[in-house]
Amino acid sequence: MQEVIKIEQLTKSYGRLLAVDNLSLSVKSGTVFGLLGANGAGKSTTIECILGTKKADGGQISVLGMNPHTNRKSLFEKVGVQFQETNYQEQITVGELCEVTACLYRNAVNPSDLLTRFGIADKQKSPVKDLSGGQRQRLFIVLALIPNPEVVFLDELTTGLDARARREVWQILSDLKEKGLTIFLTSHFMDEVEALCDQICILKQGKMVFYGTVSEAIKNSSCDRFEDAYLWYTDEEGKNSENF
Amino acid sequence: MKTFRTMLKTELKLSLRGMDMFIFAICVPLVVLIILGVIYGSKPAFDGADYTFLEQSFGALATISICAGGVMGLPLVVSDYRSRHILKRYKVTPVSPSMILFVQVAIYTLYAVLSLILLYLAATVFFGFQFHGSFISFLGGYLLVIVSMFSIGMMVGGIAPNTKIAGVIASVLYFPMLIFSGATLPYEVMPAALQKVADILPLTQGIKLLKAASLGLHEESQAISVMIMFAIAVICTGISLKFFKWE
Repeated sequence: MQEVIKIEQLTKSYGRLLAVDNLSLSVKSGTVFGLLGANGAGKSTTIECILGTKKADGGQISVLGMNPHTNRKSLFEKVGVQFQETNYQEQITVGELCEVTACLYRNAVNPSDLLTRFGIADKQKSPVKDLSGGQRQRLFIVLALIPNPEVVFLDELTTGLDARARREVWQILSDLKEKGLTIFLTSHFMDEVEALCDQICILKQGKMVFYGTVSEAIKNSSCDRFEDAYLWYTDEEGKNSENF
Repeated sequence: MKTFRTMLKTELKLSLRGMDMFIFAICVPLVVLIILGVIYGSKPAFDGADYTFLEQSFGALATISICAGGVMGLPLVVSDYRSRHILKRYKVTPVSPSMILFVQVAIYTLYAVLSLILLYLAATVFFGFQFHGSFISFLGGYLLVIVSMFSIGMMVGGIAPNTKIAGVIASVLYFPMLIFSGATLPYEVMPAALQKVADILPLTQGIKLLKAASLGLHEESQAISVMIMFAIAVICTGISLKFFKWE
């Protein structure tokens, strides 16, 4: 299988704080990759370095065989991105946001088809800020898919959603994977990671503490459940019991 | 081109939905024109002047919209789009984030041009306004005022750390310029001391240029005004280019 994302020895610090320390990983075409870790572990910094919105201090990054800094224009024709924060104009409607997103790409998909597929076609005239949490996340997936991408980056896509809405998003992502899309995601929900990810990487204070599949993660730890294994790797369980 | 057109259409709709620029850049100049017209009618600017008071004020009124868009509209929209991470979002698309800034500049230029046309029509139809000077030098001066005011706005929006500070700086620039540079309150009715203060404001120099151009006057101070406006444009553009914060 072809490597879609390849990172070698990525390092990034903010002043004296080492945010990402010598991280290497690779994501194969058509797989779902999960980047895990506590808040501040370096997940968002890693994504931003991969996308080129932050400049790495050291290391090699290639996405679809391209350098995100020097091949920005051609690379982002094929990459869909959903950042953690909201990033749309206050008064904009769903239809306008989709139209303006589509106009940025040469081979954009028709947004109406995507909105229909994700069950929010009737919301075209609604302001984005009036959507429910689940509808908004579905819209953000639509926006990430408008370029007709080969790979999408989704940063904490399901944070703030209720259980049903999260399941809906999982279903959507599984369907997209079936169609051959490569997905790079971060998440705080271990059930979600178990259900979706082929490969995971767990970060702790910028360092990789585990890299492999979910079942390997369980096997190599002293735990039976993935969530326990995750806490074991990130050492949060030990800290918590001390607090108790 | 398709990208620019679609973005312009959407951003223009958003701007009109906000209403504030429609009020400050389109309605305010017309209201001030009508007030001056009603008060001074077609009285000569001073005894023995061969142009009316309103004709003398036209160049000043034409800058109200530029001032509103340049030092109020632009800084607010730029800092708002930065704090909402819209500029950052464009960094992960094939289109550069500077495109959306370019679109905003186009929108505020449209407001300014529309305001100029409406002022000209209203002044001509209701108050017998006549344009005495050269259209070419008036439009040249108008463009220079746009460039220098918008560069101030882009600098403030680009380097203000957050939307709140951008709003404060915009107000500090906008209201004194609106009132004391002669854009609304005519420079000619100000006491001499106030005129000296007004001369410091960059917009005052722009207004002097436009007045001279619209009245067909030739004064030696015009060259200085042109240089000041030009210097502001160069300095502020330079600072924006060097220190602009995308996130």
